[in-house]
Amino acid sequence: MIITKKKDRKKLLESTGRYNRFFLLGCSECATLCGTGGQEQIDELKKELEESGKTVTGGFVAKTGCQALGTKVELKQFKEALDNTDCVIVMSCGAGTQSAVEIFPEKAVYPSNDSLFLGNMTRLQMFDERCSLCGECVLDLTGGVCPVTACPKGILNGPCGGTKDGHCEISAEIPCAWVRIYDRMNKLGRLEEFGQTTLAAKDWSASIKPRKLNVREQKDKKSGGEEKKK
Amino acid sequence: MSSSFREALESGKFVVTAEAGPPKGTDISTLLHDLDLLKGRVDAINVTDNQSAVMRICSLAICKIVLDKGMEPILQMTCRDRNRIGLQSDLLGADVLGIKNVLCMTGDHVLAGDHKGAKPVYDVESVQLLKVVDGLNNGKDMSGNELKGATHFFQGAVVTPEATPPEPQMLKFQKKVAAGARFFQTQAIYDIDKFKEFMVFARKFPVKVLAGLVILKSAGMANFLNANVPGIRVPQELIDEIRGAEKGKALETGMNIAARHIRRLKEEKICDGVHIMAIGMEDKVPVIMEKAGLL
Ligand code: SF4
Ligand code: SF4
Repeated sequence: MIITKKKDRKKLLESTGRYNRFFLLGCSECATLCGTGGQEQIDELKKELEESGKTVTGGFVAKTGCQALGTKVELKQFKEALDNTDCVIVMSCGAGTQSAVEIFPEKAVYPSNDSLFLGNMTRLQMFDERCSLCGECVLDLTGGVCPVTACPKGILNGPCGGTKDGHCEISAEIPCAWVRIYDRMNKLGRLEEFGQTTLAAKDWSASIKPRKLNVREQKDKKSGGEEKKK
Repeated sequence: MSSSFREALESGKFVVTAEAGPPKGTDISTLLHDLDLLKGRVDAINVTDNQSAVMRICSLAICKIVLDKGMEPILQMTCRDRNRIGLQSDLLGADVLGIKNVLCMTGDHVLAGDHKGAKPVYDVESVQLLKVVDGLNNGKDMSGNELKGATHFFQGAVVTPEATPPEPQMLKFQKKVAAGARFFQTQAIYDIDKFKEFMVFARKFPVKVLAGLVILKSAGMANFLNANVPGIRVPQELIDEIRGAEKGKALETGMNIAARHIRRLKEEKICDGVHIMAIGMEDKVPVIMEKAGLL
């Protein structure tokens, strides 16, 4: 899931200062789990805006904020409130915010959160980064522990000289990725292979931005081909 | 002309390398003075690459100055600040300047240095960089393109014998050998018996090993290294030895320890040489070498 953190409220109120009528748009998925975009947070921001003399025309927790089409349909019920709004504050991630930009091409859209990383939820409202979406996964070669993400240097071929008691040189709070990988490979009985393979430098062209993926096109082509055969 | 450092190692001589840390700023007078002291005494000079991620003069420029002094430089190259294009380009540049030795390292993280907001690069890392050097030596760049003129490097790497746990570090050592490392300079070691054990392992491979030595100035410095520098472990008896020294004799004791270690490493033929990291006390290197019976 996408991990978000609430932006400094004072700054948000300042940056949206030129607007007066706000609509607050949350998201029921990641942002709700992060405590940044659920009903509770919408109510809280509504109160703060009203206390500073602004009008809140409405608020809604979208099912999936990064899905622009679905969100647009859901928002139809708020047409009147939205017509009467000059700024939409989006309380989800940067993707959700840009769905709103797509839905409201003529309106100001502001984010209430900073988007941080793709995270694993370890406990309630506690998150760890384990994958940085590099575009070319090597987990099959590293015992399922990601060196691109878990090692601050993204080293692909074993620990640097900084491992101390199994911790990373950057911080004693980070377990050294390569000690973890070594242990996993050892448990899997794959140490020998691990010692013999040198991972080549990553092909970063797999993560040049902005990335796009169209799975539908491939499917269409496939079924199209089948039709032809018939 | 091939590397005189390599020739020294291959001759079976006990080799000594020292370190020159480029300064922060363009005043290189101290560095030039230190080089004069080391000239004719050490076999090669490592020039550090923005050591500890603190921004300084680049290693390449200082290597050229070392060359101009008639000395043999070892270009330290980290992967922290340059991507594969920058690294290869600097390597080609180093070759045409006449630099024959390169030490491939991943490099301390930017968080250790004085520009903590910098974007760390790490496009490649030490093992891959060794392969890159091997490729350039064979006339090919990293993408497999033919070079008009290959490089001529004698390439090495670093190893931390005291890393904990040691097993993953030893595996990495093997990978570096497989990637083309011809010599190793170790992180500072203080426990010679333990280092001997490491060397039993390292001797299985066709590489030369220089033991890293950092001169202890005081008991406080030893404690600092133990607490803050991963991979360095100063045994308590050495700390006690320095603490027990007469007033004002701590540094001398530290130098005696270094000289004693060098003597033992040489006499027992434990490794192929030493790499003395004086960290601001370059003038002490000849003194230690004399005490160790190397001059
Ligand atoms: S290698 Fe790591 S960052 Fe890349 S896709 Fe796999 S888990 Fe994600
Ligand atoms: S100590 Fe381990 S996790 Fe930290 S930078 Fe070095 S190899 Fe990576």
